[in-house]
Amino acid sequence: MDSLFFWRWLAILMGLVMAPTQANGATPIPEALQRTLAAKCLDCHDATEKKGDVNLEQTAIDWSDPTQQELWLRAFASIDQGLMPPPKKKQPSEEERKALLAYLEASLLKQIPFGSTPPRRLNQREYTATVRSLFHLSSFVLPPGFPNDGESHGFDNLSEGLALSPGHLEAYRAVATEIADELFPVKKSVAEKKIWKAGPEDMVLSFAAATVHGDALRLVSRSVDVFRSCSWPSRIEVKESGTYRVEVDASKFVSGVGNPFEKPMILEVRARDLAASDRSKVTSFRLLKEISVSSDASEKSVFEADLYEGETLVFRWANAEMTHEFGELSELYRDWFQKDPRFLAAWQKAIFSAGDLRPHLTTLRGRNGWELVSKLWADPGLDLREATMDSKPTLKILEIANSISGTTSIADALCHFYHERGPALELHHLKLEGPLQSVESPRDLARTKARVALTGLQKEGQSSEVFGEDVLRRLLPKAFRRDVQEETIRVYVTLLKDHLKDGHSFDEAMHLVVRNILISPRFLYHQVEGARGDAYNLANRLSYFLTQGPPDAKLTELARSQMLPNGSRLRGEAQRLMPKKFTEPMIQSFVGQWLRTRKLSSIMPDPRFAFDDSSISMARHETERFFAEMLTLNLPMTDFIDPDFTFSSREFMTRIYGAPKEGEATKDAAYPKKPKTEFQKISMDRGGRYGGLLGQSAILMATANGVDTQPVVRGVWVLENILGMPSPPPPKNVPALTPDTQGSVSPRALLAAHTKDTACAVCHQRIDPIGLALENYDPVGRWRTLWPGTKIAIDSSCVLADGTAIKDPRDSKAWLVRNIDRFSQCVGEKLLTYATGRVLNFTEKREIRSIVLANHAKGNGFRDLVLDLVESETFRSQ
Amino acid sequence: MIPPNHSPSPHAVDRRFFLRSALAALVLPRLEAHGATVSETPGARNFVAIGTYLGWHQNAFFPKETGLNYSMPQTLTPLSAARDSFTIFSGLDHRAPNGHDAWSNFLSGVTPRRYSLDQQIADEIGQNSRFASIEMTAGSGEEVRAMSYTRKGVGLPMIQRPSVLYRQLFRSEADLARTEYLLRSGRSGLDLVLEDAKRLRSAVPSADSHKLEEYFDSFRTLEKRMARQLNGINNPIPTTSYKLPTYDPITPNLQIEAETILYHLMTLALETESTRVMSLQLDGLGQVFSFEGKALGSGYHGLSHHGNDPQMIRDLVSIETAHMHCFAGFLKELQEKKTARGKSLLDETIVLLGSGTGDASRHSNRNIPTLVAGGGFQHGRHLAIDQNEVNAPLLGDLYLTLMQRLGMQVGHFSNASRNLNHLFA
Repeated sequence: MDSLFFWRWLAILMGLVMAPTQANGATPIPEALQRTLAAKCLDCHDATEKKGDVNLEQTAIDWSDPTQQELWLRAFASIDQGLMPPPKKKQPSEEERKALLAYLEASLLKQIPFGSTPPRRLNQREYTATVRSLFHLSSFVLPPGFPNDGESHGFDNLSEGLALSPGHLEAYRAVATEIADELFPVKKSVAEKKIWKAGPEDMVLSFAAATVHGDALRLVSRSVDVFRSCSWPSRIEVKESGTYRVEVDASKFVSGVGNPFEKPMILEVRARDLAASDRSKVTSFRLLKEISVSSDASEKSVFEADLYEGETLVFRWANAEMTHEFGELSELYRDWFQKDPRFLAAWQKAIFSAGDLRPHLTTLRGRNGWELVSKLWADPGLDLREATMDSKPTLKILEIANSISGTTSIADALCHFYHERGPALELHHLKLEGPLQSVESPRDLARTKARVALTGLQKEGQSSEVFGEDVLRRLLPKAFRRDVQEETIRVYVTLLKDHLKDGHSFDEAMHLVVRNILISPRFLYHQVEGARGDAYNLANRLSYFLTQGPPDAKLTELARSQMLPNGSRLRGEAQRLMPKKFTEPMIQSFVGQWLRTRKLSSIMPDPRFAFDDSSISMARHETERFFAEMLTLNLPMTDFIDPDFTFSSREFMTRIYGAPKEGEATKDAAYPKKPKTEFQKISMDRGGRYGGLLGQSAILMATANGVDTQPVVRGVWVLENILGMPSPPPPKNVPALTPDTQGSVSPRALLAAHTKDTACAVCHQRIDPIGLALENYDPVGRWRTLWPGTKIAIDSSCVLADGTAIKDPRDSKAWLVRNIDRFSQCVGEKLLTYATGRVLNFTEKREIRSIVLANHAKGNGFRDLVLDLVESETFRSQ
Repeated sequence: MIPPNHSPSPHAVDRRFFLRSALAALVLPRLEAHGATVSETPGARNFVAIGTYLGWHQNAFFPKETGLNYSMPQTLTPLSAARDSFTIFSGLDHRAPNGHDAWSNFLSGVTPRRYSLDQQIADEIGQNSRFASIEMTAGSGEEVRAMSYTRKGVGLPMIQRPSVLYRQLFRSEADLARTEYLLRSGRSGLDLVLEDAKRLRSAVPSADSHKLEEYFDSFRTLEKRMARQLNGINNPIPTTSYKLPTYDPITPNLQIEAETILYHLMTLALETESTRVMSLQLDGLGQVFSFEGKALGSGYHGLSHHGNDPQMIRDLVSIETAHMHCFAGFLKELQEKKTARGKSLLDETIVLLGSGTGDASRHSNRNIPTLVAGGGFQHGRHLAIDQNEVNAPLLGDLYLTLMQRLGMQVGHFSNASRNLNHLFA
């Protein structure tokens, strides 16, 4: 024992006697523990040194002082996670550590009761789901420009993040008026009959879909993409839903130089929303008529069709020879190339303009492209040496025509070949007249249905006052999602009756009441009333947690009869409401936020990864389907990390995950005969480099930026979302250290700076190894062995905080599997944070810990864990 | 069944749901003015921003010569007559990374989707107008790409239909009666809702009461605002003899037509002092334009990826020149209108024309073509900034000069903290 220690000991002993805090209710620390603290902590954390602003030189703890509670919570966490004392310092014995932790835990549990969630408003998703359910308006969406929800602790439904500003309330008021208008619309005046006429010059020319030749508009492609094949009159938009009379003049255009077309041409006439996206598929527009066009001379067709408010007509030649669908497109090219080697040579020259086999497609778009090809075709000096079907340039062109770039580049130039030479379908004149009679649009019918569902029918002889009150007594408990006091009912009934008394109609009075219900805090907020243990609040919490919407009739009835809080009932209802498919809102929302799959749509992967929109949705759905499977099949928690299955397509597995590979081969039998781009459940061996949360493309993508990887970002993410150990933000005055992975220096070397600077080292010793261990995955999740732009092999080895040596990501997985309770604890905390809308406290996290351990002992199923969490005191505590 | 949350963009809207609404988009309330103080006698009173999604072809936009005696570049030829009313800037940008996403940098600065220039101005000087600001788009046929963003980064919806803007500016008797009815009846209900809401106070633990007080604070603001709107409802609504076509030119191929009409309505909005801040976005899709009866070789978007093909550039420049024809008409109208202070409307209005894109063909966001007209500045020059100089000014520095001219005492915009007052005054 050195002398310094002796003096410190003495000081503590004196403090024990003299500590002034003891008199006013501080709890003394047992002597044995004081000795442990003194021996293992006070070297750095005494009253003079107080490293990291932590002073543990105390003989008693004044629990009434919040800063003391904060201090000992930090001490507990650091000791519990093995961060303190630091590895190089003297370590307490296992018994000492346990005793200290047990004492602190017991004290903290005694001091900190289960939490309660402050009032929080519905967030955008909950608001939308609630309105849809309450008013039977299944297509309701919030208008653009509606204020955002604030995010807090990674979720958009926490009380902390959901402020309510005057801007929000004003927006709620505006939306309330929209909803009331929808249910109780203002009567419209009767429409006047109108006649519209349109010629070719009034029709939309989009990409290469249509061209004008004198008095004719030519259509040539049957692509399902509206903007590649269709034309529509841009100055016609019907204002009234009704039956209209349509007159179309059309003819065949078949020249001597194009292919013949003996069959009748089928002209499709559909109805489209004038304001709809031109990127729509033609099949999303209602088919009105198929006209058979069989003459070279213009013929008139007349028919009647229903058009709805906001719609116009759209035309497509349904059986055209030309198409943009790339499989068929390459066949079309093949036919023409076989027929005419000069044609082939012209395309070769246009596409490989630099004389080598690198295609130059940019300038080949549209008519410009065709004019270039056309000029070459006519050139007598055209080089025909490569104009054979098996030459390299020919095969390359066919390959381009068989890919998405064929559709977007050279196909439009070929369209102009057809526009010029036929066969094409010609439109000459269009006349629209009506409405001959009004009809109810599907939307009008839905409105009527919603309204009847809301109010029911007025009984014979029933006054508007009585009927209205009857409606409100049914509506208010649904709107406020609980039983409603008589005095509150009177408020809305009075509002209704006063408005009727002022001479307004029943619809106007209901319109007014609905507007006011929708800005009441009883509607806008979760759980603003009800005592502790209130059954309605419990029903609401369960329902918004698992379905994102308000309680259904069965759950409401269980709340009303006070049966719900009973353990088995609650568990039973949780079973019933648990999501069954990956598309359900709970999975979309919880997974989207916890695992950030929501972020994917805003990441644009660098073109060199060839990761298009369908790859992104494939990656996203893999993670969502995987989570749904874990939940519905009650799979063990370790499968989150190292499963023997995933959901993907054969194509994605090969292209992104490089599977199957030797040693971690995908079992062939597991590939049923599904089309190779279609989703299926795929079995694989455990212990491989892909599969599991840390090997899934979506997560590796969401923790990168689409261009390069940042080990620090991934490290922070894993700590926070897999291990439940969030890192504090870096100090403000420190510049960000984001390694330039394009350079020749490896990120590893750059990151070494972090661990040299002691201010950084505390956190980065934890963060960087974990991030570096994932460096074998590129920004879209593909396996790589060299750092990009270098010849340096990726070294993903590291030593974890507990001393475990890791060679590559497979070892990280094995470590997590051995320490699975840490992960389960993290998931449990995320789930209950999301479910309760509050940040969990110490006592609540300890409750989750005991649930996690108990669940581990009985099989460690994920569904069981969720159900146990629902029954927890933390979940029930409002 | 609620569809999964697959929406590709926060601005993709179910157009059908809000089709009925006359306003089509939520008119957002204004926060009270904040921070900076506004001068009593500003050099200019109004602000208009115009941005193209696909940028402007640089070689046809920037003059070859700098200073006063430049020869008019091709795209700007329609502006020849107004030569002394505008200044061309080259060498400015936000130093934002390249790529598609940077489109929204135009008014937001180095970070996309941040508190945009026009909204910063509207929050300061727009408060007492009927409309604190108006956002519009021409040629947008698909998901709306916001150009203006609130302080909280919410992209503002843009009015696409001239008829909707017209109805907002020149309300009919019927519209006015409906608005008044909604306000009056709505206000009568507020007292009852409030009385009922107050009962909740006792149910919420005192530690959490601040969350509920947010509601009551907002409620009081809402009440005041409705009272103010009701007081203002009898203020005379401007009238106009301007006639709209019977249809709304909302399909992308009618973009030039839509632009022409929107510019007329914008002049009327400024003249009637209905608003002081406006933004107009000119979108670019696959629409094939026809000029003088001849269709161009490719769609607008396709042409922007010209790969330096001279034919494609020629067609692209012809579209941009058509935009500029409309713009020239707007400047001419503003020049001809006289204000109550005896100046031309153009002298009192700063018009900023630019983009978030420097060169769409390469998806480069460097050297963004920028033009400022009106606002009482000394015009007539091509101001060329050398980007290679140490501490070269940023586009944001120009924005600071514009805000200061509007009387705002500001020193920061995004990554810029100086101004161009020494070059441009």
